[in-house]
Amino acid sequence: MENVIEVRDLEKSFQNQLALKKVSFQVRKGETIGFLGPSGSGKTTTIKILTAQLHATAGEVKVFGEPIAKLKDPIYMKRIGILTDNSGLYERLSIYDNLALYCDLYEVDKKRINEVLTTVNLIEESKKIVQKLSKGMKQRVTLARAMLHKPDLLFLDEPTSALDPVNTMHIHQGLKKLNEEGTTIFLTTHDMQEAETICDRVAFLHNGEISLIDTPENIKTQQSTSSISLLLRNNRKVVVQKDEAGAKEIYNYIKDGEIVTIHSDEPTLGDVFVKLTGRKLS
Amino acid sequence: MIFSFKRVNAIFIKDWKDLQRNSYILFTLAIPLVFAAMLGRMNAATDVLSTYPINLALIIAGAFIQAAMVAEEKEKNTLRGLLLSPASTLEILIGKSALSGLMTILVIIGSIIFSGYTVPSLPLFSLSTLLGLVFYLATGTILGLLSRTVMETSIIGMPVLIIFGMSSMFKPMVENATLINIIELLPNEQLNQIWFGLSDGKGAADILMNLFILFLWVAVSFILTIVIYKKRRFD
Repeated sequence: MENVIEVRDLEKSFQNQLALKKVSFQVRKGETIGFLGPSGSGKTTTIKILTAQLHATAGEVKVFGEPIAKLKDPIYMKRIGILTDNSGLYERLSIYDNLALYCDLYEVDKKRINEVLTTVNLIEESKKIVQKLSKGMKQRVTLARAMLHKPDLLFLDEPTSALDPVNTMHIHQGLKKLNEEGTTIFLTTHDMQEAETICDRVAFLHNGEISLIDTPENIKTQQSTSSISLLLRNNRKVVVQKDEAGAKEIYNYIKDGEIVTIHSDEPTLGDVFVKLTGRKLS
Repeated sequence: MIFSFKRVNAIFIKDWKDLQRNSYILFTLAIPLVFAAMLGRMNAATDVLSTYPINLALIIAGAFIQAAMVAEEKEKNTLRGLLLSPASTLEILIGKSALSGLMTILVIIGSIIFSGYTVPSLPLFSLSTLLGLVFYLATGTILGLLSRTVMETSIIGMPVLIIFGMSSMFKPMVENATLINIIELLPNEQLNQIWFGLSDGKGAADILMNLFILFLWVAVSFILTIVIYKKRRFD
């Protein structure tokens, strides 16, 4: 399958401090990939290099098969949508006017404004002045702006960091729809739930290095233990192995009506991250 | 490279809508007009004072308003959005200068009316003022790009106000010949020499050298704007 992003041995240093160390990865067309890592791990630096906001110190970066310098060409910029941690809005203008500007810049029909505002659950607020919006609402407007022109490739830096669960769900649904329509999504997050919900693959970024990159299912399966946890009626917790003896033990508990809950001991992405790096995601 | 007037116009329309709710800019635009009206009432203008409202309109509306608008785009991280859009450097710079340019022209016209200044030769006056406008807009853009906040433009812009706005008034007090020569090469002084010359009945041939020097200032400021923009656009 065609690669939309190709990164080889990418390095970035700030005043002799290496922020990215030999980072290599590819993103396939139509994929949603998530970069997970705590603050300072290099997630935002990676996005800024991929969107030509920062120059790499070393390594090769290609987007749409072209070197990153070509991205400044309007033809390529039209294919990209970006939401960064400091995407600003015009505070004295309404939500509608903010998006109308970008409709003209991207040569998109203004009818699209209502579509994206529905996606981010702001259709009723379109005439509101941005100054009067909450932080979460502003974040949704910037997200709507990034999705406005149905980009081929969408970069999202912590897209739901300031949102409540209901709006996060709206955004996830919108991103899934956009992805189904063919948009490749590259997002950074420290929300493992978000990564599990919308990402086809995730990469763990720690101290500027990718320590693991795979599908969430593979990561969890590879790191899972071979045990099953049971909670029994008398509030007793039992751990059995995934073997013949364990199966018999579970059968007996079921037969006796003892089992309250049963869980395979599969780790969360957060558990795997802590295990691999010794650091928490938040 | 494809130049899109639609994108330039989009930036202009956005700035126009924003201006209507921006009391700082509206108040600043009124300063040259108030000064021109006061001067008109005094009715005792010397040569330098007679053209000063136009110079003040150029520096306040052209340079300072432009600086504030660019600095605000940087301060609020909205310039980043424009840069990451398909808009090219030229489209952004022209789009961002269009409204300040139009406002400056209106303020100049207002200042001329309020101060009672008589425009000597409209075509040559317009040409020289237009060159001056491009220079001051470029200077304002540079100031805006160098400032981190709107407030900072006032501090960084102070030497510019003194050198390019008030040097003609200080010239009679200067005795050093080299300094006088330098002052006489400044764009505001070139504009004054053109306007005084035209008032004295001089023609295009007499002011050609002044126009050429002014054009050099425009070229240098334009190149500097592009260079600084490329370096400072991503804060």
